Amino acid sequence: MGTLVGVLPGIGPIGAMALLLPATYSMTPTSSIIMLTGMYYGAMYGGSTTSILVNIPGEAASIITCLDGYQMARQGRAGPALGIAAIGSFIAGTISIFGLMFISAPLADAALKLGPPEYFAIMCVGMIILSYLTQGSMLKALMMALVGLLIGTVGLDKFTALDRFTFGIEQLVDGVGIIPMAMGLFGIAEVLTNIEQTVKREIFRTKISHLWPSLEDWAESKWAILRGSIIGFIIGILPGGGVILSPFLSYAVEKRISKNPDRFGKGAIEGVAGPESANNAATTGGLIPLLSLGIPPNPTMAMLFAALIIHGIQPGPSVIRDHPDVFWGLVASMYLGNGLLLLLNLPLIGIWVQVLRIPYRILFPLILLFCLIGAYSLNNSIFDLVLMILFGVAGYVMRKFDYQGTPLILAFVLGPMLENALRQSLLMSRGSFMIFITRPISSIILGFAFLLLLLAIFPYFKKRRQKYKEFEEVE
Amino acid sequence: MKRYDLVSSLFWLLLSIFACIGSLRLGIGSLQKPDMGFMPFGVSVLLGIFSLTLFLRTLTKKEGKKAESLFVGKSWGRTLLVLMALLIFAKLMPIVGFLISTFLLMTFLFWIFERPKVWWVLVLSFSTTMISYYVFSIRLNCQLPAGLFGF
Repeated sequence: MGTLVGVLPGIGPIGAMALLLPATYSMTPTSSIIMLTGMYYGAMYGGSTTSILVNIPGEAASIITCLDGYQMARQGRAGPALGIAAIGSFIAGTISIFGLMFISAPLADAALKLGPPEYFAIMCVGMIILSYLTQGSMLKALMMALVGLLIGTVGLDKFTALDRFTFGIEQLVDGVGIIPMAMGLFGIAEVLTNIEQTVKREIFRTKISHLWPSLEDWAESKWAILRGSIIGFIIGILPGGGVILSPFLSYAVEKRISKNPDRFGKGAIEGVAGPESANNAATTGGLIPLLSLGIPPNPTMAMLFAALIIHGIQPGPSVIRDHPDVFWGLVASMYLGNGLLLLLNLPLIGIWVQVLRIPYRILFPLILLFCLIGAYSLNNSIFDLVLMILFGVAGYVMRKFDYQGTPLILAFVLGPMLENALRQSLLMSRGSFMIFITRPISSIILGFAFLLLLLAIFPYFKKRRQKYKEFEEVE
Repeated sequence: MKRYDLVSSLFWLLLSIFACIGSLRLGIGSLQKPDMGFMPFGVSVLLGIFSLTLFLRTLTKKEGKKAESLFVGKSWGRTLLVLMALLIFAKLMPIVGFLISTFLLMTFLFWIFERPKVWWVLVLSFSTTMISYYVFSIRLNCQLPAGLFGF
């Protein structure tokens, strides 16, 4: 199912997980998390199929694969491109699962020593990194993060148990639901945007054969796969970065160290192997802050975060200790899932290609129907349905005006935790913000966030200074 | 794009003012003991500052190439119709039940693109409705409304 979601442009893993979440209510927490995580890394693999065959990324994380993957398909090498993407993803997934196993537990122990100021700093830096990386203007992305924080304040205040910004609407006392919001912003909005235009998908008609790469392909890709795995894993742990940044970084690294960088963009197999390995490794790496610190590093992990809470598990350092069945069940399932992806998806390439040929006029009603059922079945409430539609309209309008929903949804999920951490920190310090500076870990993290903001603003001032100099010279 | 950024920044500025006022009414407390309006106040002030920054930055920027209209050349009418269909569905479903409302919605949605043959649309809508009912209601135990007619 994850591969199917990844293959079909239009509904990403966030929307798909939001759709599936109500269906997991009757499952155990372990099964529910395994299913949702499986969908996530399946989607990472599936996204490469459309990138290579159609030159349209199935997921944001597969954008960079279009550059060389599609060129390989045009050269009659779609098979090796798909094969190396799958094998690279498998190897990267395996390496990162080992990382998850060995790093999560010590990190969870260390996290017990972190206090509210450190948590506040980590969450701030997560939102800033995500805003930095989001397409388009960073200023707009930061504004969306602030809007997400505002929406997160709707409902009961945890400290005083009084309601805020509910406007007398009973259903808002528990706050705005993440499922209707995610489905609206990513599912409904995507469909509304797509049906405005007639997008013709030209699937490159080529015989897909020789899925297993040649010795020469292996020689060119093996180090790219290893480097991509490490880059993806490390970036995946960082809040905000993850699956979108890691393939870009991997591609940049491969191009930089290549003896023939001109080959990139013209069908270099390393340009597929590295990024695809990186995005799969980042998927697993992203589980570490979620399971060890209780902080979702990206919007997709925010959906898993919501799933854990719905099933009565408070994400945080105590998950591994109090719910070892969930943690180790997830790790075991990822080994199996990785293997299955490789064994099943390569032979099923033909089916995915046929799926790609399904016209959008048949797909979009199905996507809408699944969104409607998913939103309604949460609480059997028409209010959630209407809320989802309203967020769909908001998401559609936001796209028109070039605002992204990703920072909004991450900030919405982190908002309540951020507020708790801030208020507790101020209570601890008796009102002094210096607590964020005097504690070493939080000061380092906030310093990094400040540096990122400076990096974002610096080119703007540099341009203005240049224009001023040119103006002076002309005078 | 310049015009759109000016409009959107004013919208967010208005929202931030509204949220500020709401937060002050809730009470922001003090730094030593922040109240429930503290966080929304701080966030709305920041949002106001960023909105103003965007507004001023856009105002002083030279318009590059002429921005294309948001809606020209696109079938936005179709988008509007789909949206209305979704809202009507939300209103109808508790009254007539999931099966009838879904069938009607699917018929409309399959028909609105490229106007295919009616029998094809009806067969597809019926199958989609029945399969989704089977999967979600019977296999996954989602409680979908029965409506006035009991199904």
